[in-house]
Amino acid sequence: MAKKTYDLLFKLLLIGDSGVGKTCVLFRFSDDAFNTTFISTIEIDFKIKTVELQGKKIKLQIWDTAGQERFHTITTSYYRGAMGIMLVYDITNGKSFENISKWLRNIDQHANEDVERMLLRNKCDMDHKRVVPKGKGEQIAREHRIRFFETSAKANINIEKAFLTLPEDILRKTPVKEPNSENVDISSGGGVTGWKSKCC
Amino acid sequence: MAESGEALGTVPEHERILQEIESTDTACVGPTLRSVYDGQPNAHKKFMEKLDACIRNHDKEIEKMCNFHHQGFVDAITELLKVRADAEKLKVQVTDTNRRFQDAGKEVIEQTEDIIRCRIQQRNITTVVEKLQLCLPVLEMYSKLKEQMSMQRYYSALKTMEQLENVYFPRVSQYRFCQLMMDTLPKLREDIKDISMSDLKDFLESIRKHSDKIGETAMKQAQQQKSFSIAVQKQTNMRFGKNMHVNNDRTLEEKSDIILKHTLEEEAENDEEVLTVQDLVDFSPVYRCSHIYSALGDEETFENYYRKQRKKQARLVLQPQSSVHETVDGYRRYFTQIVGFFVVEDHILHVTQGLVTRAYTDELWNMALSKIIAVLRAHSSYCTDPDLVLELKNLIVIFADTLQGYGFSVNRLFDLLFEIRDQYNETLLKKWAGIFRDIFEEDNYSPIPIGSEEEYKMVISKFPFQDPDLEKQSFPKKFPMSQSVPLIYIQVKEFIYASLKFSESLHRSSTEIDDMLRKSTNLLLTRILSSCLLNLIRKPHIGLTELVQIIINTTHLEQACKYLEDFITNITNISQETVHTTRLYGLSTFKDARHAAEGEIYTKLNQKIDEFVQLADYDWTMAESDGRASGYLMDLINFLRSIFQVFTHLPGKVAQTACMSACQHLSTSLMQMLLDSELKQISMGAVQQFNLDVIQCELFASSEPVPGFQGDTLQLAFIDLRQLLDLFMVWDWSTYLADYGQPASKYLRVNPHAALTLLEKMKDTSKKNNIFAQFRKNDRDRQKLIETVVKQLRGLVTGMSQHM
Repeated sequence: MAKKTYDLLFKLLLIGDSGVGKTCVLFRFSDDAFNTTFISTIEIDFKIKTVELQGKKIKLQIWDTAGQERFHTITTSYYRGAMGIMLVYDITNGKSFENISKWLRNIDQHANEDVERMLLRNKCDMDHKRVVPKGKGEQIAREHRIRFFETSAKANINIEKAFLTLPEDILRKTPVKEPNSENVDISSGGGVTGWKSKCC
Repeated sequence: MAESGEALGTVPEHERILQEIESTDTACVGPTLRSVYDGQPNAHKKFMEKLDACIRNHDKEIEKMCNFHHQGFVDAITELLKVRADAEKLKVQVTDTNRRFQDAGKEVIEQTEDIIRCRIQQRNITTVVEKLQLCLPVLEMYSKLKEQMSMQRYYSALKTMEQLENVYFPRVSQYRFCQLMMDTLPKLREDIKDISMSDLKDFLESIRKHSDKIGETAMKQAQQQKSFSIAVQKQTNMRFGKNMHVNNDRTLEEKSDIILKHTLEEEAENDEEVLTVQDLVDFSPVYRCSHIYSALGDEETFENYYRKQRKKQARLVLQPQSSVHETVDGYRRYFTQIVGFFVVEDHILHVTQGLVTRAYTDELWNMALSKIIAVLRAHSSYCTDPDLVLELKNLIVIFADTLQGYGFSVNRLFDLLFEIRDQYNETLLKKWAGIFRDIFEEDNYSPIPIGSEEEYKMVISKFPFQDPDLEKQSFPKKFPMSQSVPLIYIQVKEFIYASLKFSESLHRSSTEIDDMLRKSTNLLLTRILSSCLLNLIRKPHIGLTELVQIIINTTHLEQACKYLEDFITNITNISQETVHTTRLYGLSTFKDARHAAEGEIYTKLNQKIDEFVQLADYDWTMAESDGRASGYLMDLINFLRSIFQVFTHLPGKVAQTACMSACQHLSTSLMQMLLDSELKQISMGAVQQFNLDVIQCELFASSEPVPGFQGDTLQLAFIDLRQLLDLFMVWDWSTYLADYGQPASKYLRVNPHAALTLLEKMKDTSKKNNIFAQFRKNDRDRQKLIETVVKQLRGLVTGMSQHM
């Protein structure tokens, strides 16, 4: 396209154990649909959705990753470009919560230093099978000073809210462009607009 | 007389008259005398003279006689005087005797009078007895008639009435009571008629009420008869050593055993209640009514009434309830009522004389059959449950066999059964469409993981998968197909069983059954499974993972088709070498599905590429490139690299085609971006940046992301872009124009139209700096060159247009 159809591009990344519902969460947000059958994600995938925040058209490119260990080498290559990362665990699966620590360490290793993070406690519609107390989730969120939401892709609880809150946080840290400089790109070229990579 | 006549010598006429007077009775003398006066005027006088003469003659005669007898007279007188004295004596004696008799006989007289009275009485009594003896039989018969009426023996009553009228009443017809009796007979006859008709109506109501039971019993008996036939056939097969060897869990033989066992058990339970139609219904009202109307000479009325009423009942029986098609019980009631109706008619046909004829029952049955077939056609079309259709078919077979046993023609019912079989197969296809959809919906589109030998054998037992390499691998390992494959295979076999079920009891040959099974299975594969697969593949949100697995799955299902052929062959025992055997051509289903899945992979990959391209944000007027490829493009390249790493388990050609398709699509998208009519100006710096991106594409293509490409095959996807960009960056117009049209041209693939379009965008850029350009000779020279090249390119484009 000769002309951009958006103002800003934000890249988000979904990570977490296999089966916690990453793909379902993304599917609910991008297509407002839910698939009961579990189909394991083995390829990297993404969805693009344009939202409007504070008068700006922001295009969200949301990457969905494979949670299985054997695909981690593929997955980690996408951390670098992410501006926001959602960590997902399943409240009915204690193991997936315990592994949040590991995922957080991966972020520290591979992602940009100033990446925005968010914790999602998914499958909250199955409270009767909950094995991870709310308090625990809140505690780890506080320790790492990250936002958290209790979500259900199946029941469509807090999905939209989570996916709009993260870009808002990112937008808050984005430099504000001067009106008179709209026609002149001060920053260097490349695909990352509105965001300066510290790895240059 | 003669002497007198001779003496007179009178007129003959008068003599004749005198003779008549003497010989004729006094009463008739009138006419004779009148004839005297009717004659001549003097006849009277002459007649009187003749008469006086006749009288004198007679007087003389008398005197002679007296003289002759005078002495005798005197003697007699003397004797009389003597007798006078004796008479006086006798008188005294008689008077005395009379007095003595009178005195002595007074008592006798008195007794005699008594006797007379008794005699009179006896005579009267005798008369009365005689009269009564005539009347009593009449009274007795009438009394008998009354008794017969009260005991409802109407036929006998009619006979009695007949006797009364013909034999007894004529004897006593002069009596009034007899007349009164005769007057009551017509009414009694009418009463008998009415009562008989009332009985008949009750009878008709009774058989209507019991039709269900009658029909049910008849159908059960027909079913038992059939089970015996099956048992006999089974024994025969065993005796001849015929062995139905089938390599699957359930065989026809086992099914027959089960059916036979159940039937025998049922039979044992019902042994004590084997009922005939006579046990359920009292037919005597029909017989009595028939006799009565026959005796009354009104047979035709009775027959007409009976047939009319039965036709009405037939129509009622043939009119099903609106909800009959919802359950098998509805159909069963419908059939048992019809069977009950015709069993009754058949019974009456055989036990009466002419009330029901074969022609009549056949006509009734033909009417009924047309109605039944219409009803079944209409209602079965509402059935969406194949099990219900199957039970309906079984019911129809029993129904047909039952009525056939009673002599009714049922060929049209079996013809209908073939229509219902098609209906049945349609419902099966619908049911299996649902089953397939469920299987696909629940599949996780991952290779089946196997953790132990038991699990391995479990899968092998369901699906005929053969791979020595996989078999040798140690656990854990994976089958290449996902779980839907064995499930689909099992369900196709289940479909074949279900389709086969309908053909049981239909008296068709194995060849026909085999042919039908193959056709049904072909329909299942080519229409239903194909449709389900295509719908699955075109699901809006299907992922690449699923599409890849579907390709693998269909490959294995296709290979399994020959085992389905063997499966059918084993069921029907028809050799595949038979010339006219239908072949399973469901193979095309899987090829088509695979092609669709492959196409969908290409489509989805291209859609992803489009999404990346839409993120492109080139600064088309930049002075210089920043020296690195664009971010969006690097993300795109990384994405493709990741995808094709995962595609390692795709068949080689599919992965290659997908990769080629992606590269071509990317190349086309980039070219379109460059030539976009909305893009008005492009700087050389922008071209240089764009070139860096294309270099990355070429690096990707040359890195062999998918094994198997020959040489630079994949890079050819970007050759058009490469030559166009080289032309502009090297500014090699003289070579391009000089070599245009030559096979050996360095820029053979550069389209003049594209070159012109891009060059004009660069010219516009130069104009923007027109003021400053005037002060730089190089810029002025460049501008002139651009103008020159533009003119020449336009000429080429025009020439191309003319040639086209």
